[in-house]
Amino acid sequence: MDNLDAARLQMAFTLIFHIVFACIGMVMPFFMIVAHKKWLNTRDLVYLKLTKSWQKGVAIFFVVGAVSGTALSFELGLLWPEFMEHAGPIIGMPFSLEGAAFFVEAIALGFYLYGWDKIPEKFHWFTGIIVGVSGVASGILVVSANAWMNAPTGFDYINGEFFNIDPVKAFLNPAWFTQALHMTLAAFTATGFAVAGIHAYQIFRRRHIVLHKKAFKIAITFGAVAAILQPISGDLSAKDIAERQPVKLAAMEAHYHTQKGAPLYIGGIVNNEKQEVTHKIEIPKALSFLAFGDFDAEVKGLNDFPEDEHPNVAIVHYAFQIMVGIGTLLLLAGLLFFTSLFKKSWWKSRKFWLLFALLAPLGFVALEAGWIVTEVGRQPWIIHKIMKTKDAVTPMPGMIYSFHLYVGLYTILTIAVTWLMGRQIKSLNHPNLS
Amino acid sequence: MLYVVLFFLMVSLLLYVILAGADFGAGIVELFSTKKNQQLTKKTIYRVMGPVWEANHIWIIILVVILWVGFPKFYNVLVVYLHIPLTLVLLGITMRGVAFVFRHYDAFKDRSQILYDWMFRISSLITPIFLGMTAGAMFSGELIITEDYENYSFVELFINPWFNGFSILVGVFFAALCTFLTSILLIGESTATNRSVYVVKSEKATVAVVFIGFILICYGFYHEVAFVTDFIKNPITLGLVVLSAILIFPLLKSIKKAKKVRTRFLAGLQVVLILVAAFVTHFPVLIMASNTQVDLLASASPDKVIQVLGISLIIGGAVILPGLFHLMKSFKMIKVFEG
Repeated sequence: MDNLDAARLQMAFTLIFHIVFACIGMVMPFFMIVAHKKWLNTRDLVYLKLTKSWQKGVAIFFVVGAVSGTALSFELGLLWPEFMEHAGPIIGMPFSLEGAAFFVEAIALGFYLYGWDKIPEKFHWFTGIIVGVSGVASGILVVSANAWMNAPTGFDYINGEFFNIDPVKAFLNPAWFTQALHMTLAAFTATGFAVAGIHAYQIFRRRHIVLHKKAFKIAITFGAVAAILQPISGDLSAKDIAERQPVKLAAMEAHYHTQKGAPLYIGGIVNNEKQEVTHKIEIPKALSFLAFGDFDAEVKGLNDFPEDEHPNVAIVHYAFQIMVGIGTLLLLAGLLFFTSLFKKSWWKSRKFWLLFALLAPLGFVALEAGWIVTEVGRQPWIIHKIMKTKDAVTPMPGMIYSFHLYVGLYTILTIAVTWLMGRQIKSLNHPNLS
Repeated sequence: MLYVVLFFLMVSLLLYVILAGADFGAGIVELFSTKKNQQLTKKTIYRVMGPVWEANHIWIIILVVILWVGFPKFYNVLVVYLHIPLTLVLLGITMRGVAFVFRHYDAFKDRSQILYDWMFRISSLITPIFLGMTAGAMFSGELIITEDYENYSFVELFINPWFNGFSILVGVFFAALCTFLTSILLIGESTATNRSVYVVKSEKATVAVVFIGFILICYGFYHEVAFVTDFIKNPITLGLVVLSAILIFPLLKSIKKAKKVRTRFLAGLQVVLILVAAFVTHFPVLIMASNTQVDLLASASPDKVIQVLGISLIIGGAVILPGLFHLMKSFKMIKVFEG
């Protein structure tokens, strides 16, 4: 493996890891403050126990997210020094604001975690809200930096040099809104279904049902609402990409030949050599409609772009299919949950709980697939149409060793955190309510 | 506006060194304690540092962001040539963070605590050493900054700059400074019965700092490290170091009289003076390579970028600093008046 591939894999690996922790750290505080509010309103000890248990989860995920985020902030420079030397000043604004939001979150979390019985009750609860809001804000802000790589603005690029840098314009780049919206909803969907699924599994196993049902209801409400809204945001994103990054759209859809009234492929096996997709379900004219809101619009195929500017079509297409497939499934599950509120008998059925337990990891699978679509879909560019990834990589040889080091470290961490979470849940099932 | 940015750069560097330094020191103090004192130290550290622990470490992110946004060429040199020690620092930071939450948030307190404790202590020791080695490498005069990678070996470009006597001594010196900060901090938090434990530790740490600092200077002088020879010739630098040394006397007096706030302030001031002394020796040249020097100010971004960065920092600072102050005050990390 050459240096570039090793560096790309390391970046991918660390981001895949970090995103899970960052999303949970971003969304779980909301579950926690809802449970906390219910405790304050009802003085039902079950809610207090749930709040304290979720707070531990928040703390663990926040710290692992924070340290892996610290590692990432260094890795950007360590792996892509050329990129950071030129892009750093342009996209500094989202990063510095994200840093500030993150800092606020850490301060608020300090108050929240250590403030029980020490600071006034209402203020204590309010610091929990600040944790949640600043967490989401930092997520939204940092996505702006990624969006800029897809839609670079705020500078003039003349003879390989960047002039007239305007950080504010770069910050408010056109891809930011759709990407941030999609990401935020995805974080709520994935975390909501994951947390709800874990509690559903406990109900399935008939452990401390009272507590787990309350927990399930809080988490799934967030997840289901986000899952139902997500297709709207997905549609906005698709239309945006169709306009700004047509080659990415073509790869997502494995759309090889420019065509008016282009069909949409569902599933299928990509054959990049023959430039065709086999074993697919074809919906006529649907791609044209989804991309441009017109059944007869022309959709550019990969043949319209030079071959050295194509991303890996198979990876992007499959990842896209996984994301959309799971998204649809979770949307249906969300609707199922809201229907179940009127059909109380469903909540007595073990199948209902098993279903949600099985759905637990899927939101995160879809979320990772979505990031693969946008990141692999942008290749070979690190800054769309400005700088290629291969020109940004570190000149230091031997990146493969660094890659192995990170894989080893993060694998151990994943196992350790999973184990720790298992112990949290185990302690939750302990009968006494202390 | 450039000075606003520099001000924040300096503030985040100093705060990182003092706050995170005291935090690294916690693990080191634990490492060098008897079994009985280890548990005591662990509990005290958690009570004092717990609420602000996360916030302490975010200063390094702010520092990195300021560097890459405001001084990209300078940052580029660091990340390309000091890739390896920085990766080791990251490894340490990750292990520490994880060990810290694991040992305090694990639902069951059983034998796995032993593992978390050791992870925490070892990573607390190696992280500041590698951080110090990175800083040492900037001034070691061993860096080779070049476009011509073919003509040099991997070791010359990527190992020698940080893996040499001078850089290693800087690393050890920094670890000693961290230990010093923590043991001073702990004196104020201990009860009357175990106060003497930390007083003795502070004395030992002070001796270690002075001793290692002395060896560092001797080594640099003997090996003609330009930074050191200039360091001892520069009257401002010398003045600052002497001032820091003199402060030991009021510090000892303050410890004896059990003045918590004054003690911490004096210890912090000593560390700040030493750092500022190192910073001003060659300012604005902050990287002294064997073939060239890198001027921080000359590598600054265009005015427009610096302006936006400065404004962002002022806004961020206005939100963060009062919050942080309030947090520290609420949990009695600092007191406004002695009482």
